Amino acid sequence: MEKSLNPLLFLLLIIISWISLGSGSIDVNVFSGLLDWLQSADNKDALIVGEIRLPRTLLALVVGAAMGLSGAALQGLLRNPLVDPGLIGASQGAALGAASVFYFNLFSGLGALATPLAGLLGAAITLFILLGLSGSIARPSIIIMAGLALSMLTGALLAMVLNFAPNPYAMQELVFWLLGSVSNRGLDNLMVLLPAFLIGSLIIWGQRRLLMGLSLGDQVAESMGLQLARGSRFIILGTAMLVGSAVAVAGNIGFVGLLVPHILRPLVKYRPDRLLLPSALAGAAVVCTADILVRLLPPDRELKLGVLTALVGAPFFIWLVWKERQRWL
Amino acid sequence: MRYMHPFCVRKCLVLGQYINSLYCYSFEEIGIIMTLMSIKNLTVENRLQSVDFDLQQGEVLGLIGPNGAGKSTLLSALAGLVSHSGEVELNDNNLNSISANKRARSIALQPQFVESAWALSVHDVVSLGRLPWGDCDQTIISAAMQQANVMELASRHVDELSGGEKARVWLARVMANQPEVLLADEPVANLDIHYQQDVMSLLKNYAQSGHAVIIAIHDLSLAAKYCDRLCLLDQGKMIKTGKVGDVLTEDILSSVFSTDVFINLQSEPPIVLAR
Repeated sequence: MEKSLNPLLFLLLIIISWISLGSGSIDVNVFSGLLDWLQSADNKDALIVGEIRLPRTLLALVVGAAMGLSGAALQGLLRNPLVDPGLIGASQGAALGAASVFYFNLFSGLGALATPLAGLLGAAITLFILLGLSGSIARPSIIIMAGLALSMLTGALLAMVLNFAPNPYAMQELVFWLLGSVSNRGLDNLMVLLPAFLIGSLIIWGQRRLLMGLSLGDQVAESMGLQLARGSRFIILGTAMLVGSAVAVAGNIGFVGLLVPHILRPLVKYRPDRLLLPSALAGAAVVCTADILVRLLPPDRELKLGVLTALVGAPFFIWLVWKERQRWL
Repeated sequence: MRYMHPFCVRKCLVLGQYINSLYCYSFEEIGIIMTLMSIKNLTVENRLQSVDFDLQQGEVLGLIGPNGAGKSTLLSALAGLVSHSGEVELNDNNLNSISANKRARSIALQPQFVESAWALSVHDVVSLGRLPWGDCDQTIISAAMQQANVMELASRHVDELSGGEKARVWLARVMANQPEVLLADEPVANLDIHYQQDVMSLLKNYAQSGHAVIIAIHDLSLAAKYCDRLCLLDQGKMIKTGKVGDVLTEDILSSVFSTDVFINLQSEPPIVLAR
């Protein structure tokens, strides 16, 4: 099971992506549409598949992979299966940055890219405050406290922005954006998301050995020659890039980063280093599947993606708590 | 011997082992004492003041002393977890001049409190010992598991094991690292008498197979039985280092531990208890 997990998940991902390209209110021929779009042909199928569904599918995949990977990395670093990537404040920071665009009309020259770029900036600022606050010690409890404090602060600022929204429409737009969605976003959004995703993933991937070494605690990791303080900061940096860019582009997509690593853990024999890749693949699969479900629901009042993942994720989480409780009875 | 190039030391070692096998004499009997590690004036701010001792190949050195004496601090400093001043030389290389990774290959620490955050398999925990080497040498891992007698636990989850089984698994992890110097911080605390003997003889065997072991230990009777030499610390200062009989005297122990102590090193096993 352990060895075939990644190939299986990869296969699943391809199937789901294909279904995603074919799902929507209008029936199209996916293969010929994709082929036509690549040859810059100008027909209905090419436009729908290439201009609407492809960006949406790719965004869902990358956002899901970012959430799954950052959840696995952060849970490994803090040695706590209940850690959510939102914990380090990067997602709230990104949301605040993006909300400022709606409110102050920042970066108006950038058009549709203003929101994701401001979100990325918000996540980066929150991250630097977090790294400064947690200092060179980078102990789990300090990171969690610093992240919680920053989440509270950015959450309060976000509430204030909502409070003073210039008009009901701006407020509605902001609230809907915060609920999380990958619809109506062009390929240019991917240009913001993808570099941050790749760099963040590579940074985390480089710290696999630290994650494994940390399984037996700080002292064992350090005595094995691993650079704990530096490595921890790298993991936080990588996670913040993943979460910040994902939230900046798609809003809050909750529960994926918490649940996906949690479910996969037994399948990789609980090894935190081997959990990274499967979590990214499964995260991508889950968010893309959720986005397909959103499209299958009646189109008149769109259910936001983040609402769906939370609606499905929370009961699942309750079930996990129930199962955990049974173990102790 | 201390100023020889490491390569020469190794040659000497091979020669020594050869002589040893021919005549069945120990190094000490034929008058060769191999110094693996020498510690001079080791000081950790506010916690440890100028500690000096040499560590010989094949020996188990016991660190004893009251709680807060600096035993764990000394082990942490040797393992590179705490910054220190003074000189620590391993095979004539200054520890401060070698990389953290190289140090980790030569010196491995078993901390006092170890818990696995995840339900890892015993095999994976032991494989962790190979992390500083960046390999997954199955022969070495199996040998370490065999040495620590945890072969039959290999596929079990480490969180399901008893305290004694866990202690052996943690030691197998350190042994898979194949360090020249193995540091163990209170490896027998919280173990029953069976596992205490088990773990101590494991460490003794490891030392005698061409390595050296330093253990921090509170049970003075066990220390007397298994350690070749002892180093007594109190309030961050080294009080005495030497043969078991020289350190475990009623005068010294009574003053350091502020309690009357009964000592009988002639009995089998040796007994050191508070009156």
